[in-house]
Amino acid sequence: MSLFQLEDIQKEFKHGNTKEQILKGIDLELKKGELTALVGASGSGKSTLLTIAAGLQDLSGGSITFGGKNLSAMNQEGMREVRAKHFGFVFQHAHLVPFLTVKEQLELMLDTAETKWSKKARAERIEDALTTVDMWGHKDSYPENLSGGEKQRVAIARAVIHEPEILFADEPTASLDSKRSVEVMELIERLARELNITVLMVTHDNDMLEYAERIVEMKDGKIIES
Amino acid sequence: MKMAWKEMKKYKMRYTILGSIIFLISLLTLSISGLANGLSQDNAALIKNMPEGTFYMEESAEENYSFSSLEEEQVNNLNEAHENASLFSIQMGEFSDSGDQKHSLAYVTASDAEYFPDVEPGEIVLDSSFEEDFSTGDTVTSELLGESFTITGFAEQEKFSHSPVGFINNDDFFTMYNTETFQLAFAPEDGKTVDGLAGFSNGDFLNTIPSYSAEQLSLNMIIIFLYVISGMLFAIFFYMINVQKLGTFGILKAIGVKTFTLFKMMWAQMFIITIISLLLAAGISQLFNMFAPSGMPFHLTLDMVLLSSGAFIIIGFIGATLSGIQIKKVEPMQAINQGGA
Repeated sequence: MSLFQLEDIQKEFKHGNTKEQILKGIDLELKKGELTALVGASGSGKSTLLTIAAGLQDLSGGSITFGGKNLSAMNQEGMREVRAKHFGFVFQHAHLVPFLTVKEQLELMLDTAETKWSKKARAERIEDALTTVDMWGHKDSYPENLSGGEKQRVAIARAVIHEPEILFADEPTASLDSKRSVEVMELIERLARELNITVLMVTHDNDMLEYAERIVEMKDGKIIES
Repeated sequence: MKMAWKEMKKYKMRYTILGSIIFLISLLTLSISGLANGLSQDNAALIKNMPEGTFYMEESAEENYSFSSLEEEQVNNLNEAHENASLFSIQMGEFSDSGDQKHSLAYVTASDAEYFPDVEPGEIVLDSSFEEDFSTGDTVTSELLGESFTITGFAEQEKFSHSPVGFINNDDFFTMYNTETFQLAFAPEDGKTVDGLAGFSNGDFLNTIPSYSAEQLSLNMIIIFLYVISGMLFAIFFYMINVQKLGTFGILKAIGVKTFTLFKMMWAQMFIITIISLLLAAGISQLFNMFAPSGMPFHLTLDMVLLSSGAFIIIGFIGATLSGIQIKKVEPMQAINQGGA
């Protein structure tokens, strides 16, 4: 069943008088619970496609439909609400809030997603999520006291704590060594399966493709294999 | 609010520095406000203690009360316009105590006891600042009168032109200054046009006192500059802090945090810093108000503290909000591309 559709997505950047077409009519559907990997050479447009799909960048043409709603027609506030409640994000860097402890990072995400859970349910959910990513022991630590892999595990917990429908992951293992990359990737795959989350992931690392159920290859702003 | 407090707890030094600077500026502002008000009291408490109304002096005196002399016809005109006008005069002078030591003061006399103490001929009521050296029943001598005055009482905080006031009977006053007329009139009502007289509101009349407006303008200018500086300080400080946090703001926006929530966080920090700084500054300035040396004209009322505090909060809010424009502008993509924690 299709959860998310991208139709004829175009993205154009202007540099002075010249225009550069980064995405040239992309069509892509994401199915519920499927882990899709976007691959391609640098400059192929895969990260641009991911950020446009996630509502972090405007598109120049085309449409995005999520759960029957046309996201491309939404205003900024509408898009923010969709991101907060229905999307989760994992980036190349963890991007944790430096003045919040590990536990507080997750509390912030629950507040942002405006979840209606009780205080007790929130506390249990946070403990479960941090236990799953093996970070409960670090719940009171600040990001500055964590290693790169630990930060990324917290970022993953933050991305799924509010049980989003889609997880956007932009090269989530790029800043990690191979051992940590495997750990993080196994974690994303396990959480996506357990929580039935659809994942769209950009990666350069061919070793990570074994976790994907579907691989979409891009070249020069177009999908060449899906 | 929770996030604002957490950030302040995490970066104590950063916010303590801003708080210290705001505390020092607000303390300086309150101190100068106290000094300005103290000087104003020292210069014109006699007038400031009077109710709102209209002061009159001779039009030809050109706003200099010492040149004014209200002729009988002018007084009649005044009485037609106001039923309850009081006449009074002020002249600088001196008296000698029993040890022949001279003391300068402003002699004040009035046609009735409506606004000033009731004094019989040969009596004087002095400002309370004389209480340290004189007691009721003591006698002092005026060379101009050639006789002695008996002190019959003391009046609280009655100063004029930085001199303590001595209230005397108008017969004595007229003898001393060789005159038969009063200089000024006061009616506790809105001004009416009276032939040959110029009318002034209380505020306008204060400005006719030599040095009053120059003194107050200078001090008020300093106070205004301090408010402007504090506003700029908030704007610059929060601008610098916000620049450092643009990455964090971008990510927070990316995950769906509202821009308004980020503004609320900044405002909360501004309020926390300002309120703590103001409480400290107000406390210290009130202590100073209580224990300031008696010769220092320092007078800080609770109203002034509240007014200054309100001004600081409004200015801080404007400064912080202006710097927060960056928060509105920051794009999630900038932060994502930057990398970081």
